[in-house]
Amino acid sequence: MKITQLHDYHKKKAKLAEFAGYEMPLWYSSTLEEHMAVRNYAGAFDVSHMGRIVVSGRHSTDLLERLVPTNVATQPVGKSFYTLFLNEEGGIIDDLIIMKLSDSHYLLVVNAANSAIDLNHILHGSEGLEVDVNDITSDTAMIAVQGPSSRTVLQPLVGINLAELKRFRCTETTITGHPCIISRTGYTGEDGFEVIIHGVNTRDPSKALHVWDEITKAAKPCGLAARDTLRLEAGYPLHGADIDTNTNPFEAELSWVISPEKQGYIGYRAIATAREVQPRRLRRGLILEEMIPRHGFEVVLPNGKKVGEVTSGSFSPVIKKGISLAYLDVFHAEPGESVLVRVRGVDAPAHVVRPPFYDEKVYGWKRQDNSK
Amino acid sequence: MGPITYEVPEDLFYTKEHEWAKVIGANVRVGITDYAAKTLNDVVYVTLPKAGQKVVQFKAFGTVESIKAVSELFSPLSGTVLKVNESLSSQPELVNKSPYGDGWLIEIKPTDLAAERHKLLDAKGYRNLITSK
Repeated sequence: MKITQLHDYHKKKAKLAEFAGYEMPLWYSSTLEEHMAVRNYAGAFDVSHMGRIVVSGRHSTDLLERLVPTNVATQPVGKSFYTLFLNEEGGIIDDLIIMKLSDSHYLLVVNAANSAIDLNHILHGSEGLEVDVNDITSDTAMIAVQGPSSRTVLQPLVGINLAELKRFRCTETTITGHPCIISRTGYTGEDGFEVIIHGVNTRDPSKALHVWDEITKAAKPCGLAARDTLRLEAGYPLHGADIDTNTNPFEAELSWVISPEKQGYIGYRAIATAREVQPRRLRRGLILEEMIPRHGFEVVLPNGKKVGEVTSGSFSPVIKKGISLAYLDVFHAEPGESVLVRVRGVDAPAHVVRPPFYDEKVYGWKRQDNSK
Repeated sequence: MGPITYEVPEDLFYTKEHEWAKVIGANVRVGITDYAAKTLNDVVYVTLPKAGQKVVQFKAFGTVESIKAVSELFSPLSGTVLKVNESLSSQPELVNKSPYGDGWLIEIKPTDLAAERHKLLDAKGYRNLITSK
C-alpha cells in the first residue's frame, strides 16, 4: 500500500484503513467529534493522496479548454474553479479543482482513485500542443484546513494576509517558511483552505510533518470518515459513488459547470444533445426519519414502485438523522415529496430535499455570523 | 493507532461475536464489549427487541449501527427479554462511552443458564481471542 508524507503521525494516532491504494487515517478520536470540530471551529485533513498534476507551457489554456466544459481562458489568474472531465458520451470521468496560477501554469487536483486515468486523459488531449504535463503528487503534500476558524488557525503560519484571499482563489506563498500554494476551497461546505506544500516526499517527510504539527496545535486532526460525513452533509458528490461515467452533468445537478456557449471540448456534442432533453432522473438528497441509508438501497413509493436508488448514505451529526444522495425519477424528485428507502427489508420513511442538509444560516461558509 | 488496551472485566462471560453477559441474581444483562465498541466507534443507532420477546443463544437479536457499518448483535444465552435499555434511543453514544455500564443493551431471563454458559468464553478466553486479531 502507498503512504503519504504524514503517515508517521497517522500510524501513531489514527485508526487506519485503505483508501485508493493508500493507508489513510479513518479517524483519530471519533468521526462525530471530528465532524463537529470542523463545523464549529477548524479541522485538518491529510489529503496528500489526491492527484496533483501541473499543466504548464504555451498551450496550457488551450489544452484545458479541450478537456473541460468550463471556460478556462476567461477565468482570472488566481482563480480556483470546480469542473469535470467528460467523455465523448457526456459521462463524468472525474470531478476536479483547477487552480489557475498564471495563463501558462495550472495545478489540477483530482480524486486519488482516478489519478492514473486523469493523467492519461490529460496526456492524450495534449497531443500536438506545446505543453508540459507533470504529476507532482509524490513530490508535494496537501493539507486541508476546514471550518469557520480555519483562517485564524492558518494566518500565523503563512506568508500572506489570508483575509485578502477570497473563496475560490489561490496563490503561491509560504507556510512556516516553506513554499506552498494555498487555495480557498474545500470539500466540507465550510470556509477553508487547501495547502499544497512543495518539495516534500515520503523519503524525507519532515517538512510536511512539521507543517502538520503546527496546524494541529489549533485545528483538530480529522480522518477520512469525517471527510465523508462532512461532504455528504454539504451535498457534494463523490466520484465513483454519486457521479461516474454513467451519469451526465444535467442529471447530476452539475450543469452549472458547463459554459453555455462553449464548444469543442470533449463531450460537447453529447452535452448539446442532452441539453435538449429533460433528464429522466435527478440527483437529490433524502432525509430518513430513522435508520441510515447506504449505497445501493432502493427508493420506493408506498405502492412499492421503485423510483430511485441511494448513491451515498451516512449519518448527519448536525441534524442527527440518516441522510443520502440518490438519483430519483424526475416525476418524484420534488423537494418535500415523501418516499420510502428499503433498509435491509424494512421500508424507512424519508423525504426529498435539495442539499445541503444543514441550515445555511447556521453552518457552512455562507453562514450569517461569518465575519471573518 | 499505537497498541490499544481493551477492557475485559473478569466477572463476565463472552461470545466470539463480542457480546458480554453478566449474571445478576436470576437474570442476565447483555452488552457489547469494549473491543467491539472501539472497533465500531461512533454508534448512532441501536435496534433492540421488545420486552417479552424470545432470544436464542448465538442467534441475532438486534443491530448496532455506526457511521460506517451495521453489525448484528448475537445473544449469549437463550431466554426472554425482560428489560431493554431505553436510553440508547436518544443516547446511542453510551455504547461507546460505557459499554459495560450505562451502554448495556438488554436484560434477559435465561432458560438454561447452567448448560449454555459452558459454550461462552471466560475473560481469559475472550482476551486471547482479541489479542490474536
